[in-house]
Amino acid sequence: MSGSGRTILRAAGGALAAVLLAAAGARAQTAATPAAPAAPSNAKHTVWDGSRTLPVHLLPLRDENDEPIIPTETDPMPYSARFTCGPCHDYDAIKSGWHFGAMTANSSGRPGEPWLEVDPKTGTILPLSYRKWPGLYDPKAAGLTAWDFTMLFGRDLPGGGPAEPPDEEALAEPDARWNVSGRAEVNCLACHNRSGRQDHSEWAKQVLRENLRWAATAAAGIGEAGGMASRLKETWDVVEGPNLDDHEWAVAPSVSYRTTDFDSKHRYFFDLNYQPSDDRCLVCHSVAPKDAAHWSADRDVHSAAGLKCTDCHRGDIRHQMLRGYEGEATETGNAAAAAFTCRGCHLGEDADGRKTVTPGRLGAPYPKHTGIPLAHFKRLACTVCHSGPKPQEGFTRVRTSRANRLGIYGVATWSTDTPAIIEPVYKKAEGDRITPQRLVWPAYWARRSGKDLVPLKPADVEAAAGVTLKPEANIAQVLIALTQVTAEDETPVLVSGRFVFTPNVDGGIDASERAGVKDDAKASWAIRKDGTVSPLVPDFDPAASDKDPAIEPRLQEFLQALGTVTEKPGEPAIVVRQTLYRFAGGFLDVSEAPAGLAGASGPGWLVDDKLVPLVSDFDIRTVTAKAGTERTLTEEQVELVLAVLAKSVAGGEPVYVANGRLFQLGRGGRLAARKDPHAAPVTWPLAHDVRPAQQSLGWNGCTDCHSGGSGFFFDTIKAAGPLLTKSAASRSASSFMGLGGLFQRVFGLSFIVRPVFKVVLGICAVIAGALLVLAGLVALGRVAGFMEKR
Amino acid sequence: MGFIILTVLILGATFLGLAFHRFWTSRPEAKSTLIYAEIARMFLAWLALRAVEMRRQASPRAWWASLKGLPLWREPVLEKWLFICFYGSFLYLAASGFFFGIFIPRGMFGYPLVAHVMAGGLFAVCLTIIVLFKGRDFISVPKPASLSLSLLDPRAMGITAARVKLWAFWLFAAAGVLLILSALLPMLPLLRTGGQRFMFGFHRHSALVSLAAAMVFAGLEIFASGVKRPE
Repeated sequence: MSGSGRTILRAAGGALAAVLLAAAGARAQTAATPAAPAAPSNAKHTVWDGSRTLPVHLLPLRDENDEPIIPTETDPMPYSARFTCGPCHDYDAIKSGWHFGAMTANSSGRPGEPWLEVDPKTGTILPLSYRKWPGLYDPKAAGLTAWDFTMLFGRDLPGGGPAEPPDEEALAEPDARWNVSGRAEVNCLACHNRSGRQDHSEWAKQVLRENLRWAATAAAGIGEAGGMASRLKETWDVVEGPNLDDHEWAVAPSVSYRTTDFDSKHRYFFDLNYQPSDDRCLVCHSVAPKDAAHWSADRDVHSAAGLKCTDCHRGDIRHQMLRGYEGEATETGNAAAAAFTCRGCHLGEDADGRKTVTPGRLGAPYPKHTGIPLAHFKRLACTVCHSGPKPQEGFTRVRTSRANRLGIYGVATWSTDTPAIIEPVYKKAEGDRITPQRLVWPAYWARRSGKDLVPLKPADVEAAAGVTLKPEANIAQVLIALTQVTAEDETPVLVSGRFVFTPNVDGGIDASERAGVKDDAKASWAIRKDGTVSPLVPDFDPAASDKDPAIEPRLQEFLQALGTVTEKPGEPAIVVRQTLYRFAGGFLDVSEAPAGLAGASGPGWLVDDKLVPLVSDFDIRTVTAKAGTERTLTEEQVELVLAVLAKSVAGGEPVYVANGRLFQLGRGGRLAARKDPHAAPVTWPLAHDVRPAQQSLGWNGCTDCHSGGSGFFFDTIKAAGPLLTKSAASRSASSFMGLGGLFQRVFGLSFIVRPVFKVVLGICAVIAGALLVLAGLVALGRVAGFMEKR
Repeated sequence: MGFIILTVLILGATFLGLAFHRFWTSRPEAKSTLIYAEIARMFLAWLALRAVEMRRQASPRAWWASLKGLPLWREPVLEKWLFICFYGSFLYLAASGFFFGIFIPRGMFGYPLVAHVMAGGLFAVCLTIIVLFKGRDFISVPKPASLSLSLLDPRAMGITAARVKLWAFWLFAAAGVLLILSALLPMLPLLRTGGQRFMFGFHRHSALVSLAAAMVFAGLEIFASGVKRPE
């Protein structure tokens, strides 16, 4: 054989060996790695070389046009993950991952936390998801475009998905501003950045400024992003750059790179984690009891044992994160997923209870479960006893990152108390097993379409409702106007019933309770100073010669201030003992009140020679009724809004869903509440925090759950929601489990006598057993002939 | 599934055994031939005929008459109530246990389970009293055995209906004690999941033995009282 032939043979042999080795390596990888993929279309870094180290990521940044970024040049573009990370990592494969691919996913898997569109003004808590989960609305069906969705929830989106729509979808949204904002690409750094500079609050801020293409750069601390795309005209294009003449607003977004982090070749050092650290996950996945002190919150036992979220919730380049629920292996076709459930890791069992999985991964202990009857393992998920708050403490109201906007910090308070989410609600799910779930009651305006409801957009409802939904704003504008003329230590207030209403920095009003005042105390405008509330217009005799000389100038100031109210029905006026005070021509006009004002008193609007109150009785009645509660609507408001919507909304009867009931106008236009499946609570399983064994249910015995007054079975949930109503739904804990409350009470009571029962059984077993042994010995002795030889 | 098959086989075999015993001891033609196939044919014909006959005779009134005719009602008051509780609890335990064990995949739950547990307690107490105060009536006193090959000959073992009935009693009592233990132990903080699983199976199999022993005892007792000896 010639030399060249041997070379070719060696080369062919080497290639064959390489292919075989690669195949073997891939096979080994498949066996060892949970989410081993079918090879993605673009095989970039899909096969692990075996090194457990992470390569240094010193990379040239590239922008969204795949052009290199020179950080020191004028007006550089923000970096693009697609073109910076994409050369080595399959961006398109990542883009279909769990966190990004909800819009295009083939299967939805076990229900997860919905996106909750919350609008207190219209009393909306609408559960949304692109995934087909029960009880949730597809954002498209709720009239939300990808742009709307991004603006609503982009603060907690890691880029991609709706924040990065394809061209045809972006162009199909006439009101969207993708051309100005750019698109928020998959933000690799949101999870993989190890740097302490990674700032979720900055991400949220940039998204709300519509600076989508700049958000990742700013949030990672790679550069500082300024400007607000939201202030730009829709015709602006990023190639135009900033308007150099506009020094005041500086609206065009721009980025200023932190040049010290670049080397001389303009390469940026990314400080990355292969497995994202827990605090990156917890940015969007934190859950904590409402009003709990930070120090009192315990960590999940797995975290306390040193495990990271991603030790269990793993994924490959496709980012199809293992969610860890039973049945995931069957649903996704990824058999390895069975090893990452509670049962898989701790018991070595698959979803059907077969010992097909190797237990003990990462040192997972094998549970003893001493004395726990088998029925519990058949009918309960592990998380029932081990996860979430203990039910003995009643239902716990929690706040979650995504629903209550946790983890976003700034001058203003971002986090909200609403929506009210409670846990643990034990509900039959997952192959008939009971699982602990989080629960929220939906609330939204809708129109009927056959048996279905089509949600109305809150903005449309607000526009149609007009002043009906603005009692707080009406009162606030009066109080804010008066604030202009009050001293620093004085606060104009509205006093009504037991409550004092003061203006707040958000342009609304806050209510505080007055001690020792009756509910029906008459409403009045007042000034609060040093905790003392005194009337805005004190009672005095205008005709008296010895009246306080400061009073009338004060009235003039009030009238001037009230004149600045934008939505006023007439000119401001004050009536005191048949004397009319007005501000006219720059002076205080004092005159005798006309006959039409007989009996009138205090400040108001002069309309057709009549004194109209500064705000309507409806406004005062409404805010007083809601004061001290979390409710944002009254039944009267709902009735009025439904009446308006009935005239303005085409295509079906308008209804309002809230507090576990469906409200509609009944006979005579009166509000009627009824049960309806659309008003049912939305639930999704919870898995964390897992409590230590000693805090699990059953540790103290059967009566942790099985007793006559057990919270596990007999706690009652009253539907929370934005509506102040007595018609709110109420459900017992056992009803969610599909169990009869009476039986559980009887069964629970049986545990009172169970100790005696056990003693009786024990005595019976000992006596009967001893007699049996004795009889057996006698028979044996007889057969052996011992008895005869005795 | 294995338990269901085993249950059907054991209960079927017990029933057929008792029926054959009845046939063998009550029908003169049973011993008219030595050919097994012929005996089997006669037995099946008799069984079919008997089934039809019983079906014709069966009526609520007949059942009520049979119930009233039980010697139980003629017992002294204490014993009468002891046996009522014993039979009643055992019948409910067997009926509920095997119904749910065979026909309901989920197993027993709800009120039937609570009643099962309560009936189990009653059964345990009654069984203990019966073994304590009536057990002496069922002591079988075998002869001292000699070491010989005849020990292996069934015909030389002295197996009679009366002795089988006594053994059935003790087997029933033993199964009853195992039922009590296999119900009690899982209630105590002693057994882990594997132990619980074992006890669950053990309870079901003990119940099967108990039911089969009860059938043998009851069958032999009832037949013994009404059997017509061949002339």
